[in-house]
Amino acid sequence: MARYELGIVDTRNIIKAIKEKYDFNFKNYALTFFKRRVELIIDKYNLKNADNFIRRIENDKDFFEIFLKELCIEITEMFRDPSLWRYLKDDFFPQILQKSSQYKIWFPEVSSGEELYSVAILLDYLGVLDKVQFLVSSISQIHLNKIQEGYFDYTKIDVNESNFKRIIDEKPLSDYYTIKDESAYIDISLLKNIKFIKQNTIFEQYPKGIKLIFYRNHLLYFNQILEERLLKSLYNCLVPGGHLIIGMNEKIDYWNSEKDYILVNENEKIYKKKLA
Amino acid sequence: MFKAVIIGGSAGSFRVITKILQSLPKGYPLPILLNLHRLKHVRSGFVEALSIKSNIPVIEPHDKDSIKPGNAYLAPSNYHMYIELNKKIALSTEEPVNHSRPSIDLSFETAAQTYNKNLLGIILSGANRDGAQGLKKVKELGGTAIVQDPKECEVATMTEASLRVTDVDYVYTTDQIIDYLQNLK
Repeated sequence: MARYELGIVDTRNIIKAIKEKYDFNFKNYALTFFKRRVELIIDKYNLKNADNFIRRIENDKDFFEIFLKELCIEITEMFRDPSLWRYLKDDFFPQILQKSSQYKIWFPEVSSGEELYSVAILLDYLGVLDKVQFLVSSISQIHLNKIQEGYFDYTKIDVNESNFKRIIDEKPLSDYYTIKDESAYIDISLLKNIKFIKQNTIFEQYPKGIKLIFYRNHLLYFNQILEERLLKSLYNCLVPGGHLIIGMNEKIDYWNSEKDYILVNENEKIYKKKLA
Repeated sequence: MFKAVIIGGSAGSFRVITKILQSLPKGYPLPILLNLHRLKHVRSGFVEALSIKSNIPVIEPHDKDSIKPGNAYLAPSNYHMYIELNKKIALSTEEPVNHSRPSIDLSFETAAQTYNKNLLGIILSGANRDGAQGLKKVKELGGTAIVQDPKECEVATMTEASLRVTDVDYVYTTDQIIDYLQNLK
């Protein structure tokens, strides 16, 4: 079961072919990550090598959609990092939502529903779900369709349940979902105040007036150049004093970044846009 | 000749790795990359436990941290840890490989691609087969491969799996591994 291995030159050719055909630029993706995703796709779709992959991508638009879907990493875990969710439940949301009406939360690059569902469940539990409007963006229509239905991966249910128990112990997570044909669906009434945005490329559209952005474990997949560009875009979308949550092992560290963001919770990686 | 050391282990490796870290002097000339399976929800505490007796700093890296000699970098729980060609850490939440995240194979393979013949790979005691393919890659790209003597391992599955697929350079006890590492300076 030797995996197919992509060379650096092949990787560059693939990036070039996709750029020319679809005007998607993956040049600034993290190299090892991008290479590995393409290798996995070549194996999974039995394409054998880089040339076949390029030919398929160029001639089959549906396959390009599949490629985009495979490239997005699904967060297959609700309430990943329970300490963050406990903090959001006990401190962050109660404080913030007491003061705020018209609270807009943006998920800029979503590949699966778990993170969004976790927030919706938490806000519902706190009785403030109606105060919040969600914006959910993705480059993959396949992923957006699944999320609209409330779909999530049933095989990961044990992790979801055990994470949930660390945050809310009065009721089981199963109060919030149903099982149909070996798939799990979150209660769709939790998802009524959501605007879905299909992006043709990452960040072509910039929503404004955002008070909270969930962007956990996405910066991992970009190189330093793109990471900085994205963080500046997110900065422009946030209202002054708005918050950005990134992954536990990510950090905001570009030149002069302390002029844009303040780290307000170091353990949970919550940043705040500086007041002008 | 070496530019980095990478060590993988699972069940039964904690004491061995503690002993190794304890034996290396402050300012050790190479970076030590560590990928040790552990409980997923034990987020903190592990670094601290390893640090207690270690003379070199044990760091749970952030994504894109530079790899510097004299530090030990421990793959964070629930992430894969890659070594990028520019000698920086890259973390990933991609799907587990052989039920493992972090995957020892992925850390070893990417480190091998970055350091080639200048990499020393060591597989310690463990209860699954993760690491075997990674160590094979280290060897294929000209690096040096050491496996802890299965007779000494608390759980020998991992070392035996590695020995099955790779013609390793040395099968060593913990003390021999330490000797070898101390003589690299």
